[in-house]
Order: sequence, then structure tokens, then C-alpha cells
Amino acid sequence: MLSCKQVATLASQYLDHDVSTPLKWRIRMHLMMCANCRRFIRHLQITQTVTKNIKVDEQTPDSEKIWQELQQKIRQESKQD
Amino acid sequence: MDESLLVTQLIAGDDKAFRYVIGQYQTLMLSIARAIVGDVFADEVVQESWVSVYKNIAGFERRASLKTWLLTIVSNKAKARLRKESRMVSLEQLDGETPGSYLDSANFKRDGHWQNPVSHWNNESPEALLEEKQLQACIAKTLLLLPPTQKAAFILRDIEQHSFDEICSLLDVSAANVRVLVHRARLTLMQVIDRYQETGSC
Ligand SMILES: [Zn+2]
Repeated sequence: MLSCKQVATLASQYLDHDVSTPLKWRIRMHLMMCANCRRFIRHLQITQTVTKNIKVDEQTPDSEKIWQELQQKIRQESKQD
Repeated sequence: MDESLLVTQLIAGDDKAFRYVIGQYQTLMLSIARAIVGDVFADEVVQESWVSVYKNIAGFERRASLKTWLLTIVSNKAKARLRKESRMVSLEQLDGETPGSYLDSANFKRDGHWQNPVSHWNNESPEALLEEKQLQACIAKTLLLLPPTQKAAFILRDIEQHSFDEICSLLDVSAANVRVLVHRARLTLMQVIDRYQETGSC
């Protein structure tokens, strides 16, 4: 039987349907017997749902500045040609 | 905004359209560049990429989406820069082990069973958790602090919903490693929710 550590290591792949069929059944077998791993997988799934809706508020890029620098760079390059 | 119209405007040299695209994709392009070449060269690589976009947009054949095209350009520029700097950084150096994570051996008995029971969550409803503003802030903060490759892999997979194959080629990591990176990132974020459930803060 798989250990809890193995199940925890494979948890993402299991949730992503990214394990072979025999391995999937071995994980399911473990989950039937192990309340801890069931909870672990459930928490991981909740985490996925919550985080995929997260707003990553990194600084909003200063498009104007980037655009000006870009224009400058293109002008420089065309002078060199 | 309608993509086909947007591309037509870009090809026509419409600078408003170009500024709009910069606003939309600069952040994501930066995360990819950072994941591949690191902080020091990322800004330059993204700038080179915009120059290339500006010069080559007329040849954009619309077989892929605009986003995929942009991400491929930044990925290629970053890989080229990495070769030029011949600074081969291994995945381990970029994303070292995180002690204290769920997969830490200390969390398991010798037979591989959990040392301690997996903690209970009082709130198991994703909808309700999404309402918790402070939790959102904690997750966003932690996400920004992830090692660059993990962060890019996680954003591309779980937020931008790219396939693993695409992520492998964009970030130049193996199929196995990209899965490990995404898993580690998810576990770190799960720990944030864990702590929040227990203490009500980050
Ligand atoms: Zn178990």
C-alpha cells in the first residue's frame, strides 16, 4: 500500500488527473482507508479553487513609460542601421 | 477587447492598442523572464521582447493566440539571454527545498504515515473563503514571495490555465519538474489557508 507521504507527494498530480490508471486506484485505495489523506487532498482541492481566483496585485505596469522607452530604443536601433 | 480587432490595430501601428497590450501582459511576461534568467536580466529581456513584438507584429499569423505568441517571444528571448550569460542555474538553485513544508520528512513517521493528524479546517467552503478579504491578501502576498520558477509555473498553470506541455516549453523545465514546481507552490499556499484557519491571520 502507498504511504501517506507518497500520497501527499502525488496529491497534485492526482487532482490534475495526471497519474496512470493503476496508480490512481492505489491512491483511491489509500484514501478509502486514511481519513488524514482524504482531508489533505480535500484541502488541496479547496486551495486550488481559492487561489485560482486570486487577484495578483503586483504593481500595475506603467504602460506609458514602457511605451516611451520602447520608442526610444527603436529610434536608436534605426539610427545605427 | 476583440482580439482580431486588436491585432489589426497593432499591425496598423496604433499606439493606443500597443499601450493596452503592454498593460495586459507586461506583468506575466516579467514573471516568465524572471523564472528563466532571474531578476537581474528580466526587465531588459522583456524590453527586448516588446521591441521584437513591435517589429514583427505584421508577421503574426494568428495561428496561436496573441497571448501565446507574446509568451513564446519572451520565453525565447530569456532562454537566449541565459545562454549568452552562460549562467546555467539549476532548478535546485532557483527553487531550493522549503523546510517546514508538508512534504518535510519530519511530518511523517518512519513507515510513511502522518506524524500528526492533518489539521481540521473550520471553514471548508471555497465560496466563503473567497469572501475573506484578509485571506486573499495573505495568499496574494505569499504568491509574490514564491521562488521565481515556482511562481511562474503556478501562475501559468492555476491562474492562466496553460497546459503542462506549454509551461514546459515556455519555462524550459522538464515535464517532471514543472509538476513538482506547481505542487510545491500549491502546498505553500495551502499552508497559508491552514494558518489562517487556525489563527485568523497570515
Ligand atoms: Zn494516508
